Amino acid sequence: MTALSAGTIDTEVGSIEVHRAGRDGPAPLVYLHSAQGEGPGMALLEELADTRQVVAPLFPGFGASEGLAQIDDIEDAAFHLLDVLDQLGFPECDLVGSSLGGWMAAELSVRWPQRVRRMVLVNPVGLYVEGAPITEIFGRAPSALADELFADREYPIAQLMRAMDGMEADPSQIPFELVRPILQSQAATAKVGWNPYLHDPKLRGRLGRITAPTLVVHARKDGIVPRAHAEAYASAIPDAKVADLDDAAHLAALERPAEVGKLVVEHLGS
Amino acid sequence: MRFFSFHLMPYPGLPSDYDGPAWITCPNEFFDPRLGGELYNRYIDELLYAEELGFDGVCVNEHHQNAYGIMPSPNLIASVLARQTERVRIAVVGNALPLYDPPTRVAEEFAMIDCISGGRLIAGMVVGGGPEYYSFSLNPAHARERFAEAHDLILKVWTEPGPFEFTGKHYKLRYVNSWPRPIQQPHPEIWIPGVGSLETLEFVAKHRYAYMGIPYFHISAFERMFAMMRDACEKEGYVADPLQLGWLVPIFVGETDAEARRHYEEHFWYFVRRLLPGINISPPGYTSVRSAENIMKNAGTFALNLQTWEQVVEGQYAIVGSPQTVTEMLAANIERLGVGNLLGLFQLGTLSAADTRRNLELFATEVMPGLRAAFPGTQLPGTSMPAAAAAPS
Repeated sequence: MTALSAGTIDTEVGSIEVHRAGRDGPAPLVYLHSAQGEGPGMALLEELADTRQVVAPLFPGFGASEGLAQIDDIEDAAFHLLDVLDQLGFPECDLVGSSLGGWMAAELSVRWPQRVRRMVLVNPVGLYVEGAPITEIFGRAPSALADELFADREYPIAQLMRAMDGMEADPSQIPFELVRPILQSQAATAKVGWNPYLHDPKLRGRLGRITAPTLVVHARKDGIVPRAHAEAYASAIPDAKVADLDDAAHLAALERPAEVGKLVVEHLGS
Repeated sequence: MRFFSFHLMPYPGLPSDYDGPAWITCPNEFFDPRLGGELYNRYIDELLYAEELGFDGVCVNEHHQNAYGIMPSPNLIASVLARQTERVRIAVVGNALPLYDPPTRVAEEFAMIDCISGGRLIAGMVVGGGPEYYSFSLNPAHARERFAEAHDLILKVWTEPGPFEFTGKHYKLRYVNSWPRPIQQPHPEIWIPGVGSLETLEFVAKHRYAYMGIPYFHISAFERMFAMMRDACEKEGYVADPLQLGWLVPIFVGETDAEARRHYEEHFWYFVRRLLPGINISPPGYTSVRSAENIMKNAGTFALNLQTWEQVVEGQYAIVGSPQTVTEMLAANIERLGVGNLLGLFQLGTLSAADTRRNLELFATEVMPGLRAAFPGTQLPGTSMPAAAAAPS
């Protein structure tokens, strides 16, 4: 386990919080987080950093990252991530993206395929699949979402989310320090994913441009994204396959670091 | 002091075994079109009656896909009122600007109502409620930007000669050239309703518009809200005029306090327990983080949390009682809040047509005269307020 250290980089939209660790190598691993904003202290990244360079930038609106006012849609997100890779000085990298981050990884890869060597998408959103809708994430009770995001009811974040329900009757009792980052990250997610709902109608037709061998991970207990989305990605990306995880849910990258880490290492090489 | 009769046009026919939200997902199979037709006509009659009884104005508002208020197009109702009244101000409070694309539609329809009414429109502009952003699948993270840009566009439509080109972030229009133009010059009086968002208060103060405090909070929340509004005006270098402040509150007048409560209480609870659930959903990015913090401070006192009639009375969520009680409570609050516009909800929830008419009559004959005497005419402030906005008191 190699701890990541926090820093910042300057981008067109402002200062971006970046967590990084590991030795320099030919293809650094860039992790793109979900709407949960995971990264700091994340076991999966600390494991991966034992053998390679790992960098986790936080998207505008998450953590201390600035610039959300300049992001209006997924197109802006893609160009922002290109800017991040430029500022990091990575002509080529491996991308691992979870959920929202998986979508962003795909948007980046269809535009600048030469910047991505290999790619892992974990329960990615981003596509519309007829008959297999992505579950509503906005405006839901945290307790209901908890069961869709996590496989284990005892997982600490799942417990916290269930505890939040009781506070709704009197929101003035919730410490605002706890609420502020949640409000900011939800606003960031809404910016890119409110309508069209967590997808880009143009993305599927562009997936054929991706050159990176891609692994799409589907967690069988994912209550947000049906398996049909993983299949849709894998069938449209020229060199791609689906891997299933049995005892994992939507935020598998967070909750199941060992299992996801194994798949990532197998696919990317070490 | 100006007196307005505000109508939400609620749907009183939700099935008794339905306990879900009245917003966004409330099944529309519950809407009986025949009953709907009766309600629209009855509610319009109640608004028309306010003119007969000597009110200064009537108010309508916009909400979509809900049972709380079945008035997705307040402009349709306002155009009926424009034609069928002769004297009252017609306040549309308001049009949810981000829901109109392009928002020149608002400039056109408001100008039509102003023309038809002979210059009696009060043009209300709102961001739209949280539920509207679900019902329209409109990005709430763009709500404030779109509102500000739509506002600027509408004001430009009314005050600058067309045709002109407008190139904003959200709206790009090659030929802006509204036919008609409003009678009131340079433009109709503008009202902005709000629940205490700092951005909104600062916006209203900057433009010298009027701020309407949205109800269903403890009276102390209004006190804070209007104090913040006065502060915001002071920061702009002027003293807020009472006519820039409006207080919206449910009112019911009976013969005695006991009789008033007996007639009213069940209708109030239908409103609170059946029609309010779901109204308070706040979609992501809908308010800035600093405003969200401010709004959350008041959230605990939102009417949805009410359990007992004693709490209703203590927090003055509704002003209910004999003419004397209602007069005293309103006078004390008008003084305390410093408002120059009283917006009364005289029909609420399931309150019947007969009870609503009697309520309006008792208020107009036994409460309004005393309050008019206690709060004599107030001059309109500032330079941006049109002279035509003067109260016919």
